[in-house]
Amino acid sequence: MIAQFIDGPLWIFSLSVFLIGVTWRIVTILMAGNRKDLATPRGSASAGAIRTVFTRSVYERSAATRGRLLLVAGYLFHIGLFVLLFFAQPHIDFIAERITGLSWTAIPHWAFILSAELAFLGLLLLWIHRLLSPVTRMLSDLDDHLGSLLVFLVMLTGCLALAQSFESLRLIHLLLAELLLIYFPFSKLMHTFTFILSRGYTGATMGRKGVNA
Amino acid sequence: MNEQFEQGVEALRQQIDARISSYFSSCVHCGLCAEACLFYTETQDPRHTPIYKVEPMKKLWRREHTFWGKLGSVFGWVESLTEKDFADWETLVYDSCTLCGRCSMVCPVGNDITYMIRKQREGFSVAGYAPDGMKEATRRALKIGSPMGVTIKTLKAALAHVEKDTGLKIPIDKKGADYMTLFSSMEIVNFPEYIESIARIFDAAGVSWTISSKAFEATNSGIQIGNKEAAAELVNRVVIAAEELAVKYVISPECGHAYTAIRWEGPNLVGRHYPFEVIHILELLEQLKTEGRLQLDYKDSTPMTLHDPCQIVRRGGVVQQPRELLNSVAENFVEMKDHGAMNWCCGGGGGVSANERAEPLRLHVFDRKKKQLRETGVNTIVTACANCRIILEEGIEHNDMDTEVISLTELVADHLTASPEKK
Amino acid sequence: MYRVSNLSQAGLGLKTGVLLWLLWLLLLPLETVADTKQPKGMPSTMVLNPAAELWRDVRQRDMPISGTTQVKGVDSGVLINANGDKWRKFRMQQLIPIGGFLLLGILVGLAVFYMVRGKVKIVGGESDRKLPRYTSYERLIHWFMASIFLFLAITGLIILFGRPLLIPIFGKEIFSIIASASKEGHNLMGPLFMVALILVFVKFVRRNIYQKGDMSWLLRGGGIIGKKHVPSNFFNMGEKSMFWMLVLVGSVIVVSGLVLIFPVFGQSREWMELAHVGHAIGAILMIGVILGHIYIGSIGMEGAIDGMTTGYCDLNWAKEHHDLWATQMEKRGEAIANEEVNRFSDPDTNEYLGRELREADK
Repeated sequence: MIAQFIDGPLWIFSLSVFLIGVTWRIVTILMAGNRKDLATPRGSASAGAIRTVFTRSVYERSAATRGRLLLVAGYLFHIGLFVLLFFAQPHIDFIAERITGLSWTAIPHWAFILSAELAFLGLLLLWIHRLLSPVTRMLSDLDDHLGSLLVFLVMLTGCLALAQSFESLRLIHLLLAELLLIYFPFSKLMHTFTFILSRGYTGATMGRKGVNA
Repeated sequence: MNEQFEQGVEALRQQIDARISSYFSSCVHCGLCAEACLFYTETQDPRHTPIYKVEPMKKLWRREHTFWGKLGSVFGWVESLTEKDFADWETLVYDSCTLCGRCSMVCPVGNDITYMIRKQREGFSVAGYAPDGMKEATRRALKIGSPMGVTIKTLKAALAHVEKDTGLKIPIDKKGADYMTLFSSMEIVNFPEYIESIARIFDAAGVSWTISSKAFEATNSGIQIGNKEAAAELVNRVVIAAEELAVKYVISPECGHAYTAIRWEGPNLVGRHYPFEVIHILELLEQLKTEGRLQLDYKDSTPMTLHDPCQIVRRGGVVQQPRELLNSVAENFVEMKDHGAMNWCCGGGGGVSANERAEPLRLHVFDRKKKQLRETGVNTIVTACANCRIILEEGIEHNDMDTEVISLTELVADHLTASPEKK
Repeated sequence: MYRVSNLSQAGLGLKTGVLLWLLWLLLLPLETVADTKQPKGMPSTMVLNPAAELWRDVRQRDMPISGTTQVKGVDSGVLINANGDKWRKFRMQQLIPIGGFLLLGILVGLAVFYMVRGKVKIVGGESDRKLPRYTSYERLIHWFMASIFLFLAITGLIILFGRPLLIPIFGKEIFSIIASASKEGHNLMGPLFMVALILVFVKFVRRNIYQKGDMSWLLRGGGIIGKKHVPSNFFNMGEKSMFWMLVLVGSVIVVSGLVLIFPVFGQSREWMELAHVGHAIGAILMIGVILGHIYIGSIGMEGAIDGMTTGYCDLNWAKEHHDLWATQMEKRGEAIANEEVNRFSDPDTNEYLGRELREADK
């Protein structure tokens, strides 16, 4: 009963909440609008926007002196999570079966495990740092911890289900992933998408001024 | 007071556009911006984390633009913005931020935090929560025409001195000149050498220029305090004067925020395109040099370093010009470790220098600049902003350092062929 | 009074002794296993089963005979792994019960100790100054290791003790799920412990090299024997020993763990059995010691955990437990007033900062 619910209606529901919610969030941001910049540009806004969307993924050296481990952790977590989310065989199969119908080449099992380990390493370091550093402790709110917790639990239950021989373990993993999807549009996890907007806006402004931001 | 507070909240509400919304949506509270802010690095006080300074605006955004905020406000779970927030944050917003823009360069999700703080100041100034020093400066700027109370009389007296020293005629209100020059009060009062320098350079290069007696002040306190009406009024004076004189270009002086005000924010404040172009003095000098109109005769062997004024370089986009100019007059130009778009602020920008109560903090965070200077091992620091110059000089004096601060324009003037001050 | 304050450290020394003794007990049964090759109570004269000879050879009881086979692989020529049964018996009959009672004993011991001794207070009370003890990086890697360790300890204990302890509670079906999950989780997180161990080793090794005075700390039982206060450096002898145990036993656990999860380097079954035994004994030992570590940090001693959470420790605490270091730090003027430490963590300071500066404005 519960299994069918998690596998069927709840999956459809959470996916819909996710898709509609994310779209709604992005649309409301765009709808807020920006005033047209009347100053004569020195450089191209669109080139600046596109450049910044990519170049901001490279850390700024002069601000990295004291947080080296943290930067490494940030990269490990994001790259690890991305790889394991989209290139692990079970996920590709799931996406192909449930969403797109398309599948692509998976990375070998060892690379899957490695990416999961790196993602865990990064997430744990980042989260502990969030709890320890006076700056992040002061900034963080419930949302930050809830988001971290959900991602952590989804990753953890995923790794507990690695044997792929127990249906209930898969369902727990799926259930948490569904909760994550439902929570996603209402939370900071939105930065997964909005970072393109914020980098873009900043890049455009700086691009107009002729500064590589 | 309460009504004024409501107006402040409303003003703040108006500021929340797509940019601000995307920035708040993206911020993951990583705290990396703290490492980019000299107020944090020098005090280690977490409250000086740039993104924390816009907490009041975040509170408003969360309540009015997010699902949880809207839901919570119905049931009374979410606090609304209070007057106490304004009171508590005033010093963070005005005293410990120079709008230098360094944080905006390091944010991994690309938030322009400086823009957010600048926007938040709009709400704070309307609500009346701004430092008295800056309020006074703005009032003087609107009433007298200069934040330091400099009148056209003072300017004319200064110009008379310059004319006497150089033997050159300074054109005032000359219609149809190519360039209209602006000054900052700081230059008129403290550094008249700057006026002298451009008079000599323009004479040597044969530039057709003038000064307007109606609008000679380039600084804009409205931008610093965050009052768009005041800012627009101050920009408008310049625009009207330039239109009256029918000039092709308006020259922004060696002053950081003046450049941002007139060049980048100005057209948006007055709500239209200018019929003229705004050019920074360094841009013009570099252009004159490239065109061969500026003959520089020798190079100085004194080791020199360059302090990049935030608003001209990082926030203004005049990055290469000062370097090329300096290289053409100095043999031993040493870059600081963090330079160009990543330079550290002097600590006095964004109105902080007009805010007397912020002085102890400002002198404290000058340590960052001191360390930077020490690393270069150079005793001559060149800059291109009258405000930076004053702040650097004060910091140097406060720290008993043996460092000379010179203006890049003046340095260029000193190296003109047939310069009377040839060393 | 000093003597009293050091009791819990003494407890650690004492505990280590008990531990070593119990470890020896644990090893004893191995001998017994070796002695009982022949089942007792068999008639000396009996009619030989004609197949016995064959099976004896197959099992390679008398001499290691390796058969030949076309199957390529480690141990593929061995039909019956005679040591496997020995290993199984050891695991079921010695490792699990003795290891279990050992851990239980430590828990009971700590509880009794707590009841007798109570929380070790800072004798001089909290001072108005603090010393910086651990940097944020040091705290970060400590808690990283702690969280990984906790996860591995729990999943590991489930794998080892799950059968006797959890099956009666959850039943076999649910336990099979828990066991599978624990095993997968344990294997995945395991290598991260290696990363943590390396980070911790590199950062803390210097302060853990034994120094002059460490021996006398040990001889005086960390302050339990004699009336005089026993001086100690940044880390005392007990902590240093724990560090080295963590490093040495931890390395054994890491290496044996890698042998177990990567059976692709040609290790034979015997190696795997050996690795398992080493892994389990090492882990039980370490969990026991870490229980003591957690005890001191949580309910055992006032002020002990502060350094690891806030980065600062109380000056009086430092003087009572690490006086050589504390005196040195104080001389260098590193002691910081509490207000200075807390000035940034007080939620109301925003208001104070604002008010002070605004008043200065008037």
